[in-house]
Amino acid sequence: MTDFDNQLRKFQKELSAGTVSLALLAVLASAAEPMYGYQIAKRLEREGEGVLSGKQSALYPVLRNLGAGGLLDSHVEPSVTGPPRRYYRITETGLSVLREWVMAWRATRDSVDSVLQGLVL
Amino acid sequence: MNTTAATGSFARPDSALPQSIPDYLDRLRAALAGADKALIQDALYDAEEYLRSEMAENPGQSEAEVIAAVAGSYGAPDEVAEIYRDTEVKVQTALRPPAPKPRKSLLGRFFGVAAEPRTYAALFYMLFSLATGIFYFTWVNVGVSLSLGLLVLIIGVPLLILFLGSVRILSLVEGRLVEVMLGERMPRRPLYHNRERPLLERIKDMFADPRTWTTLIYMLLMLPLGIAYFTVAVTGLSVSLSLIFFPLLRLLGIGTVQFDGYDVFMAWEPWSWPVAMLIGVALLFATLHVARFVGKFHGQIAKHLLVRLG
Repeated sequence: MTDFDNQLRKFQKELSAGTVSLALLAVLASAAEPMYGYQIAKRLEREGEGVLSGKQSALYPVLRNLGAGGLLDSHVEPSVTGPPRRYYRITETGLSVLREWVMAWRATRDSVDSVLQGLVL
Repeated sequence: MNTTAATGSFARPDSALPQSIPDYLDRLRAALAGADKALIQDALYDAEEYLRSEMAENPGQSEAEVIAAVAGSYGAPDEVAEIYRDTEVKVQTALRPPAPKPRKSLLGRFFGVAAEPRTYAALFYMLFSLATGIFYFTWVNVGVSLSLGLLVLIIGVPLLILFLGSVRILSLVEGRLVEVMLGERMPRRPLYHNRERPLLERIKDMFADPRTWTTLIYMLLMLPLGIAYFTVAVTGLSVSLSLIFFPLLRLLGIGTVQFDGYDVFMAWEPWSWPVAMLIGVALLFATLHVARFVGKFHGQIAKHLLVRLG
């Protein structure tokens, strides 16, 4: 049973590596204004299923890395409720990267779906 | 029925989850023990942002209730620690440009330094550190002497507090510079203090934090270090580049290298010019190696003096 669980967890981890970045970029691309970590996490939580429903603490390092890669822009604003918040906004590079990623994602999803079709378990 | 065991576990629900945000952060810090100091600072900052926002979203709930609620979504301290350790490893390998194949031959290693982007960033940092060094040194001197001098009057007290606050911000700025140019992992978030505590306590914390004082030392140290780095970089580059290019210019009949009115290349036999060029090339690469070394060395200094100890 634990071995079974481990297999599932390992699969989810590998699956989430790229999809989380894609989901974060998509959320920020559709956002009207810059969002901070907690907002983004809650936004994903509302619709998150499968690997996107993983621990939200994992989102912060990914956000930071997308920022470091130039896909996101960020600035810090003070907040009354806690430490200053870092607000993220998608950049032009981020948008064009997202477009590529979406195409890659759709192609992958379709081909995986067609492989899985008719599978009886 | 085993009632004692049941009440026993019921009486201490805190054994599983922390009861307050500071407690949560303490557990997270403990769980991350041994990880990179800068990573710990970032992880604590992110967790605090999330928890405080969650508190603000759910007024009327106690900290313990909120923490119990987010344990599923954000993660318990141990899980969060594991996630951060894990992503750090993944990102380090994913974001870095692929490392050039380690060169086996001695000659390859000597000249290979020119192919590494880190070398030029470190060289630039060496030139830049003169400016930052002068600025930090001046800032600390003016700040310390002004606030200590005015301490007999009441005005010196707020001045000292403001000054120490500014030093902590500069510490973050310098940390970013060091990470970008020298590649040493530094905090990406400001040092954040417990918001629960009254202002006076937090100011006291600032004075008690050894990092405040080590940052002051670092900023003073930056002047002599900056001067040394700048001098080494400028001397190395100008001497090697002149040795390389002056024979060429000499052939075209323009430019001279003079020491006390003594024209070096006029005096030298033409056969020595290619030798001078070879020495220049060797010196240029030696300078690049020095830059690499200074980058690593200074990264260590910054890490020890700017990032919280322990």
